[in-house]
Amino acid sequence: MIDQNENFASLMRQSLNGDQRAYAILLQKTASLLRPFLAKRLSFNNEVDDLLQEILISIHKARHTYDGNRPYKPWAYAIAKFRLQDFLRAHYSDQLRHAVDFDDLEEILPETVTESGLSYESISAEVQKLPEKQATILQLMHQEGYTSKEVAEKLGMNESAVKVSAHRAYKVLRKKLEK
Amino acid sequence: MENMEDLVARLAQDVAVVKPAPHPFVLSLKWTGAAAIYLVVSLSISGLRPDWLEKLHSLWFVAEVVALIGIFFFTSLSAALLGFPDQYQKRKLTMAPIWMFALFLLILFFAGQADNPPSPLPVHSFQCTLGITMMSLFPAVWTFYAMRHYASTHYRLAGIFAMLSAFSVGALWLRLHEATDSIVHVVEWHYLPMLFIGVVGIWLGKRLLKW
Repeated sequence: MIDQNENFASLMRQSLNGDQRAYAILLQKTASLLRPFLAKRLSFNNEVDDLLQEILISIHKARHTYDGNRPYKPWAYAIAKFRLQDFLRAHYSDQLRHAVDFDDLEEILPETVTESGLSYESISAEVQKLPEKQATILQLMHQEGYTSKEVAEKLGMNESAVKVSAHRAYKVLRKKLEK
Repeated sequence: MENMEDLVARLAQDVAVVKPAPHPFVLSLKWTGAAAIYLVVSLSISGLRPDWLEKLHSLWFVAEVVALIGIFFFTSLSAALLGFPDQYQKRKLTMAPIWMFALFLLILFFAGQADNPPSPLPVHSFQCTLGITMMSLFPAVWTFYAMRHYASTHYRLAGIFAMLSAFSVGALWLRLHEATDSIVHVVEWHYLPMLFIGVVGIWLGKRLLKW
């Protein structure tokens, strides 16, 4: 382990002195080192490849923060974990955005409508009963077709706040419609 | 995304001689040195509190100022360590400000006990927070600017410590400038706002230090 670390550290020292060959070897070795770490945490190979490339670019950007006097692997893993967290955060927030789609609710609606007497108008009425901000967000996103980013800009809000607000509104609506 | 081999080849082609970042100890010494000069210059312009010689004999005042200097020093050090992706592999040292804050709270508690009968509250209130904020702006801007040259993987924590470091300079300045003995006032209008502003560092760190 110490030898391997020393090997990485020595390659990095040469890279910092402008040795392109040493740097290419270092990046290849780093990719081989990190691939199993990412593969354990991600489901798809293409995600692993994409993230691995992002990590290598980050290592390239941050290489001045490594001076070759301390073990290389913890430094590389710190960057890998950081990018992995970023990736997962983006991934889950994307999932959250698609968790309950308003259109899906509309598709489910016909069955429920016949049973419970609900109509598109009654859903709109339910939307109107939501807090003003949530109602506006749903109207903008689903009636006028704005993206959450555009809604955020329009309302002077943070994009993630818009998504959270929409998600809460979906939950309330779903509960009401299920009744 | 491009092919892995192509990416490696492209990055390797980009490589040139790179000067490694200074050791975080050196970095934090630079920051604290610059902030100390700033503090001395500011105090020489605004003036020391009129009773400063007398206050040097007050145990709890001296302890409070020393602890504040400790907070200033250790938050700078932590901010410098957090500028490195692996915290320069000194994770425990990164958390040193927490112990300094615990010590500081203890000192404030004893100073409060010793302040009996309690010193009268000064007439002013928020002006102190405003003064500290104005005084801390320059060190805050400078610290964040310097930290942006590094690669923090804990940008929120780095933001907190950078803000606390900058605001401890402001708090030190006011403590040495303003002749206030009321611990209640000092806690309420000097140190609690400083902690609150530290929390603002979470947001600033996310905004300014993410890379």
